[in-house]
Amino acid sequence: MPTSTNTPNRLHCRGLTVKYGEYVAADHIDLDVAAGEVFGLLGPNGAGKTSVIRALTTIIRPADGTATVAGADLSDQRTLRQRIGVLPESSGYPRSQTGLSYLRFYGELFGLSRAEAGTRAEQLLDQFGLGRTQQRISHYSRGMRQRLGLCRAMINAPEVLFLDEPTLGLDPAGKEDVVRRLADIAVQDGTAIVLCTHLLDEVERVCDRVAIMAAGRLLTTGTVDEVIDSSAVPRTSRLRVNPDDVAAAHEILDRLDVVEQMQFDNARPGDLDLRLASVTSPTASSQVLTAIVAAQIEIRAFETDRASLNEAFLALTTATGAIS
Amino acid sequence: MSSTAARTPSRAGWSIVARQELTELWDSTRGPGVLLGFSVLLAALSYLVSADAGINLLDARESVGVIVQTAIALGTLTALVISSDAISGERERGTLESLLVTPLHRRDLVIGKLISATSMWVAAILVSLPFVVVLARGPGVAFDAVIVLVVAGSLVAAALTAFGLAISSLAMSNRVSLASAISIMLLLAAPSRLPGVTANGVLGSIFIKLNPVSAGLRLANEVLVGQQGWADHWSLLVSPAVAAVVLTAVAIRLSGRIELGDAR
Repeated sequence: MPTSTNTPNRLHCRGLTVKYGEYVAADHIDLDVAAGEVFGLLGPNGAGKTSVIRALTTIIRPADGTATVAGADLSDQRTLRQRIGVLPESSGYPRSQTGLSYLRFYGELFGLSRAEAGTRAEQLLDQFGLGRTQQRISHYSRGMRQRLGLCRAMINAPEVLFLDEPTLGLDPAGKEDVVRRLADIAVQDGTAIVLCTHLLDEVERVCDRVAIMAAGRLLTTGTVDEVIDSSAVPRTSRLRVNPDDVAAAHEILDRLDVVEQMQFDNARPGDLDLRLASVTSPTASSQVLTAIVAAQIEIRAFETDRASLNEAFLALTTATGAIS
Repeated sequence: MSSTAARTPSRAGWSIVARQELTELWDSTRGPGVLLGFSVLLAALSYLVSADAGINLLDARESVGVIVQTAIALGTLTALVISSDAISGERERGTLESLLVTPLHRRDLVIGKLISATSMWVAAILVSLPFVVVLARGPGVAFDAVIVLVVAGSLVAAALTAFGLAISSLAMSNRVSLASAISIMLLLAAPSRLPGVTANGVLGSIFIKLNPVSAGLRLANEVLVGQQGWADHWSLLVSPAVAAVVLTAVAIRLSGRIELGDAR
């Protein structure tokens, strides 16, 4: 769900810069996240994602730039913190406490009465499948602790939720469950979610928009499709014609600039694998089909594989030298 | 529940933190474990100074003085150990960031933890009282012994607990925090062991009075062993009292400088 003028931005930052001494961890970052939107903030290790999140959650003071989070300016720290939820990447937990007492404590810190905090904690524990409220956190599995962290981040029903690797340590079913819940939270509660993760499959499924960072800079922002397109990752296509026509088809396609690479599939006579310049020429597929039809060659099949976010991510970050 | 409007906490932030910290300290093995160690040491020492006449080279008053001084030193040490872990421990266990992103004021975080660490000293007093009272009943100094333990001990403990917390706020590692706090405490306690001539000289006397730890320990010695009245030595309470107030203010002031540490 891209931001629009009709949807108020829950997060808006311009020129956000974070420095540690002379080292620039985040360089003039611009972000907008709307209510109800799941926004993926991606990048290799050391890209500056955590620095951006820490600046937006008032943990560190940015060197430059402005930001409003949940309607509060970064300088109005207390109000801003009241309205956000955060699950840090390497969050620890007090092992001697029960999940209930832990969440109740955080509820009270957010201004709930002890009774209200207890009720809210029980709701969240149930919602995230951690219902055995007398169990000490030391007996929790890693996945359970991660879910407890999510409960804590949501104890104040935040307007903006910052999640740094929320599925870390979860088994595939657990990951699926958390991703589904995040999508539900965004839709049902209108919470804006900023999601940092290395699991790009999750991002592709759950995020409305993504931003890719590398070496402290924002490389691209947009919907998953827009980001894939901007990465210039070539799309591959497969054309199937009558085996008797394959040489003629090859000759015709060889003359087209949009076909960057072409090879026969020896195992399947009649099949031609094509690599199209689909980014620089969005009509590449149409040009191929038009040329084949004009030559009166019968098309038996034509398939195009869309590049994945993972490929786009690698292409973009490798281009900056962030990943060698 | 809506988070849109900033809510006023139903209770002060420091009291919420204090209750949680007290629960965590005493409803786990940490608080009771440290207290058990303290009790065993004090019990062993009490036995050595009182039960075996062959081993005991001290008279009854000296025995009381040794026990009260040991109770103050070890009791203070237990509170110092807890307070010097308070912030740096959160930082090291990865629980600090979650606290810092709540509306909780950092000052309230420090005050709550200060209260919790001080409870260690209160527990140490409660454990010490029976030993002190039993030993002090013989020479008839039970009242003085209890007052010295509670008043002088509490001032020294308050000063060092705040000191440990201040170090913990700044130290990026728990190990550094704990080592620094204990080293400085031992350094402060050392002058009370100075030979009599040096300690009773003008400079030695001033140094001991200015040093809150040695002043508190010296008071116990003068009142319980030296059989001198409180009126002659009330000045020994000045530096522990001033240190308690100043170091508590410093610890609270430093709360504004609490940082996550692993920024990158």
